[in-house]
Order: sequence, then structure tokens, then C-alpha cells
Amino acid sequence: MKRTRGQHVITYVGLAAGLLLVIGPFLWAGLSSFKPESEIRRDPPTLLPETWTLGNYAELLERVHIGQAFMNSMIVALAIVAGNLLFGSMVGYGFAKLQFRGKNVVFALVLAQMAVPAIVLMMPQFVLIAKLGMVNTFLGIILPGLINPLGVFLMRQFIADLPDELIHAARVDGAGEFRIFFRIILPLCRPAMATLGLITFLGAWNNFLWPAVVAQSEDLYTLPVALNILNFAEGTHYNLLVAGSVIVIAPILILFVFLQRFFIQGIATSGIK
Amino acid sequence: MIHARRTGLGWVFVLPFLLMFVVFYLGPLLAGLGMSFTDFRSTDVADVLGVDPVGVQNYIRLAQDEAMVKAAVNTLVFVVVCLPLTIGLGLAAAVALNSGIGRLPAAFFRLGYYLPHITSIIGIAVAWKFLLEPEAGLVNRLLELIGVQGPAWLQDQRTALPSIIAMTAWRGFGFDMVVFLAALQGIPRELYEAAEVDGAGRRQRFWSITVPQLRPVILFCTVYSTVGFLQFMEEPLVMTGGGPLNSTLSVSLAIWKQFGVGNYGYAGAAATVLFTVIIALAVLQLRIGRSR
Amino acid sequence: MNTTTRRSAAGLLALAILAAGCGREASKAPEQAKDVATGKVAGEVTVWAIGEEGKALGAFAKDFESANPGVKVNVTPMGWDVAHDKITSAIAGSATPDVSMIGSTWAGELSKTGALEPTPGNLIDKAAFFPGAWQTVDVNGTAYGVPWYVETRVFYYRKDQAEKAGVEPPKTWAEWKTFVKALQDRGGAKKGFNQGYTEGSWQEMVPLIWQAGGEIVKDGTYTFDTPEAITGLKQYASLFQEKLAPNDTPKGGFPQNFIKGEVGGFISGPWMAGVLNNDGGAGFKDKFDVVPYPKGPVSGTSFVGGSDLVVFKKAQNRDAAWKFVQWLSEPKVQAKWYTTVKALPAVQSAWQEPELTADPQLKVFGEQLKDAKTPPPYPTWEQLAKVMEGELEKLALGKSTPEQAAKAIQAQADAIGTGL
Repeated sequence: MKRTRGQHVITYVGLAAGLLLVIGPFLWAGLSSFKPESEIRRDPPTLLPETWTLGNYAELLERVHIGQAFMNSMIVALAIVAGNLLFGSMVGYGFAKLQFRGKNVVFALVLAQMAVPAIVLMMPQFVLIAKLGMVNTFLGIILPGLINPLGVFLMRQFIADLPDELIHAARVDGAGEFRIFFRIILPLCRPAMATLGLITFLGAWNNFLWPAVVAQSEDLYTLPVALNILNFAEGTHYNLLVAGSVIVIAPILILFVFLQRFFIQGIATSGIK
Repeated sequence: MIHARRTGLGWVFVLPFLLMFVVFYLGPLLAGLGMSFTDFRSTDVADVLGVDPVGVQNYIRLAQDEAMVKAAVNTLVFVVVCLPLTIGLGLAAAVALNSGIGRLPAAFFRLGYYLPHITSIIGIAVAWKFLLEPEAGLVNRLLELIGVQGPAWLQDQRTALPSIIAMTAWRGFGFDMVVFLAALQGIPRELYEAAEVDGAGRRQRFWSITVPQLRPVILFCTVYSTVGFLQFMEEPLVMTGGGPLNSTLSVSLAIWKQFGVGNYGYAGAAATVLFTVIIALAVLQLRIGRSR
Repeated sequence: MNTTTRRSAAGLLALAILAAGCGREASKAPEQAKDVATGKVAGEVTVWAIGEEGKALGAFAKDFESANPGVKVNVTPMGWDVAHDKITSAIAGSATPDVSMIGSTWAGELSKTGALEPTPGNLIDKAAFFPGAWQTVDVNGTAYGVPWYVETRVFYYRKDQAEKAGVEPPKTWAEWKTFVKALQDRGGAKKGFNQGYTEGSWQEMVPLIWQAGGEIVKDGTYTFDTPEAITGLKQYASLFQEKLAPNDTPKGGFPQNFIKGEVGGFISGPWMAGVLNNDGGAGFKDKFDVVPYPKGPVSGTSFVGGSDLVVFKKAQNRDAAWKFVQWLSEPKVQAKWYTTVKALPAVQSAWQEPELTADPQLKVFGEQLKDAKTPPPYPTWEQLAKVMEGELEKLALGKSTPEQAAKAIQAQADAIGTGL
């Protein structure tokens, strides 16, 4: 499709204006994290910091065990991503390429999970975790996050589009089902896994209520939980909150910058339909 | 479809997941369902069986609860307005990014537009409250420039819900954009070229090629967003707390509040109704979307 | 029997068993407190604390550890948003700590779960605490835990604006309004007075009922529709009706509007002094002051809140847990705790310590505490509080009258019940 130069200019202007609207608030929050607290609260607000300072970050480091919380968040999010990738692809493969009784009912049941308000599940889930002796452990924080209907759905869609001949050929060669799965299917799933990985990471990284309830000592607090201690009804430390938000967003941003090519490819090829 | 040598093999792949699913989700879900037929309160957590069954009383109360009914109406309005808005914005952004602009700028814009979707609500709330602040807020300052006195967006019953809708659409359209972008790249160029030869204009090409080709992903976004939007809660929680006078109270937020004051049985009943409605709507959308 | 009937019979049977297994027991007898050993203690004590207190308590407890060799106090801080859910979940899962800080209106609800230990009389002396504060842990005659620190509500105002307008801070309800009017007309506080009408608004309304001579509970039932209660609600509503208080304040807009001078006064607790000093910047300290609540027809009774410390029945280290709680209630420790996080002592004699006698603003709080009450710690209180907030919002926005609000609150309060 050929476009004239003029059309491109219009597109660019429109996109840029949209971008300003979309990331304006972030830009402001990001810049604000380098302002002293009195300037953050100033009215009218300033855009660029008049006095640049790293004081907010320093204070944050001093008041909250940010390093530890950051590591905890990483551990939890990565474990949940890994679990979802494995489970999602295994179950997706099962639903997409293998035949067994009750398959459709089970699949529908799993998807229906997306419609349940999480708050209702929290109490029974916690009792379960407690009965299993996993309160205040990483395992307790991670386990329920391993079950993600969206992951199963995405992987199933993707794997369903892979040619059956691949699997047939492997069977003819005498490969077992697990060998087929790990050696043939999984490597082909990379784009879909990038998509799923990113989505899962996001969810796990921002999750607040569940880790807050299961972690009973500060050593296990994830970033949102640790930052929440600073949040009061009145007299919230805005300066610390903006600095905290920047720390929370940064890794996600970096991840997305690197993965976005695979991410889009993954969605394109998982043939959502 | 491949028939495994033994049909049991499919189960082997699914079983570990399914076991955990039953334990961590189905079980708690059924517990919640059971809870909704009792007068279970937060004071009963240590002695779960020490509650009285109350039949469908909680469900009857739902229909009589002014706040709940209001929440249901708000949620409906929210979904009906926000859904087309998000999909429209997502589609517009995707088409613009796919119109042949350079790869690097496209990646840059894509990242920018997707940013709100991946950010936690707390950071977003701080920024938006400043934007919508009645006197010092950017929005009203800009309106002042053209001689309009802007309302107190979040404190006025007429503008609070629309403000929340705008914010949610702003936050959510990036996801739809990415999905559409992916799908757009899969549309064969030949279709457009052939249409161009036939003398079809840009608008015509959009409506006769792009939209029909995107139908499956539009359906996906519709269903996925509906499921999400029907459960919207974070945005009003941090922006308005459901007020003023419940004008931004959503069903999920109402459930959350009931849970917060310890009415677990009642909250369970409300959640069960919400769940049923979501599933019914999703199935309906899929039916309609596929039958055409 | 065919299969269908057999199945439904089995189903019915299961239901019957379930129904028989369920059901509330007839009301339990009041619990008796058991004494604790008062000798040497050792081992680990796990403590949960909320917000600022949670951040500070860990270091603060070092003194207790050195006074009691062999004891290790492990403090876990948690956010206010999640504290209630976290504690109820912990009770549900039998995963409670030894000691926890709780909100001052939670004791009724949490004690009803059966997870809290009644306060041992041999260690804790009820008379040492402010009576209003003790009410927060006293559930129908049995105490669960102790008040840790208190807060009470007083009248904040802009000193500079009052001087400019040439008025003295109010002592009565009538003066309250003329004061605000003067600030509005001559002091520059164009919006008047900040009176809450959303979250937490009930804490500003209930004292007005007390000040009118009313009670919100009598003989175990709610009394929100008495003439006194209506008088209180009228006073509350009149500030909005007469445009002396704005009803369009953005969420989070307070206390910025006070610092900017848009409003010239508000009712709140001691923490606001710290917030104002911090947010107002240098010199703001001299621009505001506090006085006790303006008196209503009968009294100037204020609201007392704060937090309590409770010990759980499943505590691993019961003796040390109570000893720690007792230590935190010692006057000297309470005074030191005040200097650490500015939390006001719940123990009366702590107010004689030098740390507390120096500050004139603090004296106002000390005075007000002598006439301050708390709502009854009923398990359903939080639920009722939400109801009140809803009705007060309607009142503030002019959608109902004080009489209608009184009636609506009473009707819903009756429906909700005390939950005991």
C-alpha cells in the first residue's frame, strides 16, 4: 500500500498527540519522583523538577526493604511465569491435540474461572494454604497463581494451529508422547510463550492482596505489599509513592521493550478465534 | 485432531493442572457458593460449620438492596460505553501504526500506548487525580482556556462515572491495540491491492476488508473485555471509593465492600449472581459472534 | 427404589446431615480470663503492627529484649488496607501471631470469632487507662486485649485567618457557625469548614449526638432516632445547608485545602498536626492551632479511637506475649512511644511524663481525652459505619433531611443488629 508523504505526516501528528495524552501522566509521575516532597504537592504543579533530588529514592530505601522486596517480587513472578508456561503448554497441548473424554466440559470449566471475583476465593484459598502448612512461604504465595485460564486458552489456540503432520511423523518415528511434546511442540511455542510470559509476569508483579495475606513476615513481602505499609488515609507520603511506582514500573517496561516483538508475533500466531 | 494411542494420555497432560485447579479454585468456588446460602460472617471464620442456613434469603436481599441495584446499573452502563470505546481506540491506534510508518517509531508508539495497561493502578490514580482536580487540574485548566468552567469531575454525580469510564478506556485500549496489530499483520496484502485496483477508497477498504478480516479478534476482545469490565473495581476504588452517592459503585466493588464489613454470605451471593451473568453474557456473545 | 429416587434420597440425607451439623449454638457464657505467669519469660514473640507503628515497633522493642534476656520480638509491619483481611484470614487458617495491633473498632468482631484471649486481670489494671479507651476492648463486660494508644478529635483552625477576621475560636455550637462565617467573610477561607461526608464521616457525626445528650446505644439496641440524635444530625447537616462546609471536596483534597486556606477549620485527630507541619512546609506550624470540641446542648464529648493490642488464644508464647503487651502499657514506655511515632498514650499517668507536658497543643488533646467516648465494640459495627457514611453523604448533598437520615440509619441498624 502506498501512502503519500502528507498522509504520513498526519498519521504521525495524530499518533504523537495521542502518545502525549497516554504517557503524559507517567512522564509527570516519573519526573515528580525527582522532586522534593514540598514541590510535588505544590499547586500549580510543576512539570520539570526545579530542584532535582534523589532524596525520595534514598528515603524509600531507608524506610522499606526495597532490595529484598524487589527480589521477592522477582522470585514470585518468575516462578509463576515458569509454572504457567509449563502448565499452559502442557494443558494447551492436551486440549488442542489429544482426544479424551470430557475434554470440552473441562475446558469450559477452566475458562469459566475467569468470571469469578477473586475476593470470594481468598478466604477458602487461605484456609487451604494454612492447612497445607504453607502460610508465610514462597510456595504459598506462588501456588494459586500457577493456575491461569488465560494461559491455557492462549496455548491451546496456538498449538491447535500447529500442523498435525509434525506429530504424526514423530509418532511414526516411534517417539513417545512426552518426547513429542518436549522436543517438537515446546520449541515451536516460543512466540506464544513470550506473550503468555509477559502477561503472567504483569499480573504476578502487580498482585497485591494475596501476597499481603499469605506473607506474614517482612522477609517475604513483595514490592506492592512493602510499599503499601507507607499508604495511609491521610498524610500519604506522595513522594515515596511516586518513587515506589517508578521502581515497580521500571522492570516491566524493560521487559516489554525487549519482548515486544515476540509478544506481538505471539498474539498474531496464536490465532485468537 | 489426533487420537492418542490411549485416550488416557490426554488426561496425563491435563491432570496435574486439573488437580490444582480443583483444589485451589473449584473447591473455594463451591465453598463460596455454599456460603451464599448461609448467614456466614467474618465472626464465624474460626468455626465454619457454626452458621445457620438461610436458604435464598441473601439472594432476595440483593434485589432489595438499593446500593446493589445501583451498582448493577452502573456496571451495565460502564460495560456498554467502555467496550466500544476501548475497542474503537485500540483499532484506530492499530490501523495508524500499521499504515506503513517506520518500524522504529511504530515500536516506540506501541510501547507508549501499551504502557498504561502494564502499570499498577496506584501510579495511575495519583496522576489522574491531579489531571481531574477541579481547580488546579490540567483538564479544567485547558477548558478554562476556551472559556468553559469544568465540573468537579469526580465529585459530581453526573461526571464521575464518565470520568472513570474515560480513565479505564485510556488504561485498557493498549491491549486491544496489540491484539489488533497482530491480526492486521496477518491480513494478506493482496486483498488490499486487489481492492485498490478495483478503485476502492481508503474508507471502503477499511470497512470491506479490514473489519471483516478482524472479526475473530474483535470477538475475542469483546468477550475478554466484557469478562474483565463486568468485574471492574480497582478504578472506582482508588478514584472515588464508589461515590458520590454510589454513582461509581460497581458490582465488584460492592461485593468487596460487603466482604470488608464481614458479610461473607451476602458477598458470596452477590458474587454468584455476577459470575452467572458474566458466563451467560460471554456465551451469548460467542454464539452471536460465531453465527454470523 | 429406582435410581432417581435413590439418588435424591441420598441427596436429601446428605443435606439433612449438613443442616444438623451446621447451626449456631445458643449464646455462649462470658469467657473467664486466665491468669498468666508473671515470672521470667523467654523465647520468641511474633507481633503484627500496622502502618507507621509497624515500621517503628521492631526497633522500639529492643528495649524489651534487653530487659528480658532470651526474648526475641519479631515484628511484622502491614498496611492499613490489608490489616483487617490479613487478621481474619489468619484466624480462619489458624495461623495467627502471638500479638497483634488492631483498629479500635475491631475488638468486638475479632473476639466473637473466639480467637482472642480475655485480658488477664493479674497483669493489667483497667483503671490505668482512659475509660473511653478501655471501652474499645470491653465486649459486654469481658476485656480482650488492651488499648495501646489513643487519638481523639479536636477542633483545628487557621490562626492567621481567625486573627484577620477578628474572631476567637468557638466554644459552643452556635459560635462554631459564626466563627466559620467570619472566616469565610473576612478571613479568606472561602469554602468555610471541612466537614467529612464520605469515608469516616460517622466519626464526626456521632460526637454531635453525644454532645446533644443522646446515646447511640441503649440497653443493647441502637437509638439513632431519638430527639437528641436528630439534634446532632441537624447540627451536622446545617453546616452544609448554610454553605459553611463544602460538599464537593475531591478524594484526597483534604488537608491540602486547609493548607491553601480554602477551608479554615476541621475536626480531626492528633496525627493531623504532624501531617500539617510536614505538608504545610516551614512556618505553617504557626498558622494553625487546636481547641477542644465546641460544646453542644449538653457536653463537648469527643470521639476516641486509636488502636488496641490483642493476644491470640493460639499464641505460641502466651506468657511472653502478655508481658510484652504489659510492657508497652507502662507509663514510661508509653511516653517514649509517643516520642517515637507521636501516638498518644492510652495510659493516663503517662501524660505526666515530661515528653508530653511540654507541648501546649498536646494539652488540648489530653484535656479532650477526659471527655471522649467510643462506639460500642459490636461485631457488626463496621457494617453500620458504612450505612451511616452512606446516609451522611445523602445529607451533605442535600438529598435527605436529618429526620429522614435518622430514620434510615435506625431502620438499617435494627436490621443489622449488634451481632453479639
